[in-house]
Amino acid sequence: MSENQTTHTSYYTYAWKQFRSHKPALVSLYVLAVLVVIAILAPVIANEKPLYVRYHGETFYPALSWKKQFVIEGENGKKEIIQPDIAEWKRMSFEKVIWAPIPYSPEKTDRLNSGYKSPQDEQLFMRADGNIVPMPSRFRHIMGTNSLGEDVLSGLIHGTRVSLSIGCISMSIAALLGILLGAAAGYFGDTRLRTTRGRFWSTIFGIAVGWFYGFQVRAFVLRDALSGREGNFLLAIGLSLIILVSCILAFSFLGKWLGKLPVLRTQVHIPVDNIVSRTIEILHAMPTFVLILTVAAIARPSLTNVMIIIGLTSWTGIARLVRAELLRIRGLEYIQAARSLGFGEWEIIFRHALPNAIAPALVSIAFGIASAILTESSLSFLGIGVPSDTVTWGSLVNDGRQQFNAWWLVVFPGVAIFMTVTMYNLIGEAMRDAFDPRQKK
Amino acid sequence: MSRYLLKRIFIFIPTLLVIILLAFIISVKAPGDPLDRMVTAQDGVTDQSSLSWNAQLEKDRWRTKLGLDLPVFYFSITNAATPDTLYRIYDKRLRETSKRLIQAYGNWEEISAYQTSIQELAKQVELTEEELKKYTDTATTLLYRDTVNETFFQVQALKYAYSDATIRSLLQRIRSLSGQHPVMHPIYLAIEQTQSNWTDVVENSQTIKRYIPTIHFYRNNQFHRWVFGDGNWLTAKGAVNTKGIIRGDFGYSYQTKLPVHQVIGDRMRWSLFFSLISVCLAYIISIPLGIRAAAKRNSVFDRTSSVILFVLYSMPTFWVATLLLMGFANPLTIQAFPASGVEPMTGIPEGTSWLQTIAIRIPYLILPTISYTYAQLAFLSRITRVSMLETLSQDYVRTAQAKGLSQFRVIYVHAFRNALLPLITVFSNIFPAAIGGSVILETIFGIPGMGQHIFQAIYSNDYPVIITVFTLTGVLTLVGYLIADILYAIADPRITFSKK
Repeated sequence: MSENQTTHTSYYTYAWKQFRSHKPALVSLYVLAVLVVIAILAPVIANEKPLYVRYHGETFYPALSWKKQFVIEGENGKKEIIQPDIAEWKRMSFEKVIWAPIPYSPEKTDRLNSGYKSPQDEQLFMRADGNIVPMPSRFRHIMGTNSLGEDVLSGLIHGTRVSLSIGCISMSIAALLGILLGAAAGYFGDTRLRTTRGRFWSTIFGIAVGWFYGFQVRAFVLRDALSGREGNFLLAIGLSLIILVSCILAFSFLGKWLGKLPVLRTQVHIPVDNIVSRTIEILHAMPTFVLILTVAAIARPSLTNVMIIIGLTSWTGIARLVRAELLRIRGLEYIQAARSLGFGEWEIIFRHALPNAIAPALVSIAFGIASAILTESSLSFLGIGVPSDTVTWGSLVNDGRQQFNAWWLVVFPGVAIFMTVTMYNLIGEAMRDAFDPRQKK
Repeated sequence: MSRYLLKRIFIFIPTLLVIILLAFIISVKAPGDPLDRMVTAQDGVTDQSSLSWNAQLEKDRWRTKLGLDLPVFYFSITNAATPDTLYRIYDKRLRETSKRLIQAYGNWEEISAYQTSIQELAKQVELTEEELKKYTDTATTLLYRDTVNETFFQVQALKYAYSDATIRSLLQRIRSLSGQHPVMHPIYLAIEQTQSNWTDVVENSQTIKRYIPTIHFYRNNQFHRWVFGDGNWLTAKGAVNTKGIIRGDFGYSYQTKLPVHQVIGDRMRWSLFFSLISVCLAYIISIPLGIRAAAKRNSVFDRTSSVILFVLYSMPTFWVATLLLMGFANPLTIQAFPASGVEPMTGIPEGTSWLQTIAIRIPYLILPTISYTYAQLAFLSRITRVSMLETLSQDYVRTAQAKGLSQFRVIYVHAFRNALLPLITVFSNIFPAAIGGSVILETIFGIPGMGQHIFQAIYSNDYPVIITVFTLTGVLTLVGYLIADILYAIADPRITFSKK
């Protein structure tokens, strides 16, 4: 094999080469990498707390620490307490201070500059001695403020976090569901997944039992966790899922033994394809955006909920593509070879079939991220789903809608959404061309 | 063909039922009691405990009218401790409290005795209040009244309390309040009874019952009534309040208390209008555009139109709409168009001819139409171009060109018909989109259509409307599929649905 390497290139190497020749997509990829860095470093880039402070001879890093308060020994032995979350950092006089590049936090109001200050407007600043002076250029709101005096640029930077994480996490959920269900539907079809009657019914029973003990008995625990009254929701739902899965596994194991009994020995087919296809059809026949709106309005406003809702409603496209690919692949000779060699079904799916079917799913995921970001920004534009104190790109545009003169509130976040969506679309498009052998140049 | 279509409709029925079921589950699981909203909205009373007698009657009337006095579904799976008559506790909060208590202690008999004693307690408090009204106002009686008043609120809190610690401390508090004055002696007696009942609940708890599943069946339930009406399920004979979704009766809107179809019919006009106009415009512009771009592949026209369409395609609609309003309906820049609505605030004066009505309305419609159209336009042109490119590269097109046919004939007569197929798929999606309207655009432009109404319905928990939207969208999706199938067969003679 190794001597062939110079002439023989793998499919993905070839695809990557194709992708690179698509210049706009390549640029998008780099810009996206920058956005990811911005999203990760957001608290350091835009923060009202200084990055570094020297005060009464002591050194602090307020922006980087989680401490609820700093205790400082004053000159005359008096103790001074600074609470980083509510302190007016800009009015204190430090011996030495390094501000974050954008010295504002997104949800902190600057009362002196409230009421839609445009980027060119005269902005005001209160000095340490209490005098109000024109804004020094270091502290200017470069992209203006909204009605409450929140800094728009800071909101944009922190909004990057929200948008990118919504895109990634919701699409991860969608990809996981779509690939698994699509692969099972395509590979097994309606007849290929067989089991004994005993095991089939035992597993169904296990699902019912697992649901009862995991979700029915724990209904109020889950509800309290969801409304944030006590405990962590993810922990609670995790425990419920563990109960569900272990019940299913236990009964499935029991079913293995039951399947040896006379009547229960009969083989039955599980119509996987039918089940998955019907589910896709149902989701398609529903008004998805209205569904997301309704569920987001009922659930407690939180980013996690929005991610889960978007993820659960957008896996169908991926599943359809993977299903179609696997329908084709399962008839190929190498799969039959693998079967006759005695590999397990799931091993064949994951190790042999899926790697050749994943390319179209990847394209669909790229487009999916773009539309997830659009959906989230539309939701926060309408003020549903995302907590009201979280600043997102959509909520900034909504601020601008209240006041038509505040063009900076509409233009900047809008451009940010537009650019991100375009970049993902470009990448998706380049990937589609790259993976398509007909486009070979 | 008709056999195929029938089969398709037949397959779709279970899908539709599942959609209705899902929407129904969402509405049942949603927090809040619709009746509270319906009745308090009318009387302006927000505190549930001080609902007037009249409001209570009104509430009961609506409860039977809407069928909310029935169990939710055909069956319910609960733990063994839960009685099958729990649904008869109409107060949703009280029902949840009972469920929580059952979940915690598992002895319904004791719990129900405890709750009855709370009712008795509340009655005693009310009686004492009445009794106190007979006294003349002195400093002492005023003090009494304050104490009784506080007791009243503590009892209300006790009604909905479910943790042992809270209940005990509330009981203790009421006890010490009622012990202060001889007038309140009956309350004191009642509280002693309640306290002993609560001790019974805690001491005789049957925790094991919580883990034994039981199933209760209900023949007459909310879901059944919703779908099939309250008469005979097949013939609707004897239906009083509703004939069921299958006969097009969607019940009453919680928000307006009018039948849903009445509310929706009014709203649907605008949504339909905008989706039809925008789809027609989009097709009229995008098909020639896409074909031209494909015919002159890689020309300047193709490249520029591709870039512009790509940009349009990626622009969020809410952003474009806001920008349009900011640019063209803003006194600071150009105020060419009104900012919201579909007619002047004062309404269209009586007696205007329809031509004048149109002339008045047009300025209101231009910005929304642009916003509705541009994204579809971009999407459709791109599809047309790709599909046309694929068709043009096929052998039969080359043959046609080799025969010496004109470029026009080759493209519009030979190639176009085959390039149509993907456009048909898109066409089938307009019907469901028309009912959902565009929530965002209608909210931004203040268009009184379905989208705006859905948004309001979601905000005010008006679930009958939301379920109706889900159901109708499902039906229209099916209609869209069927129309697409028929169009496929017309566009492509190779496609037939009859078995040979």
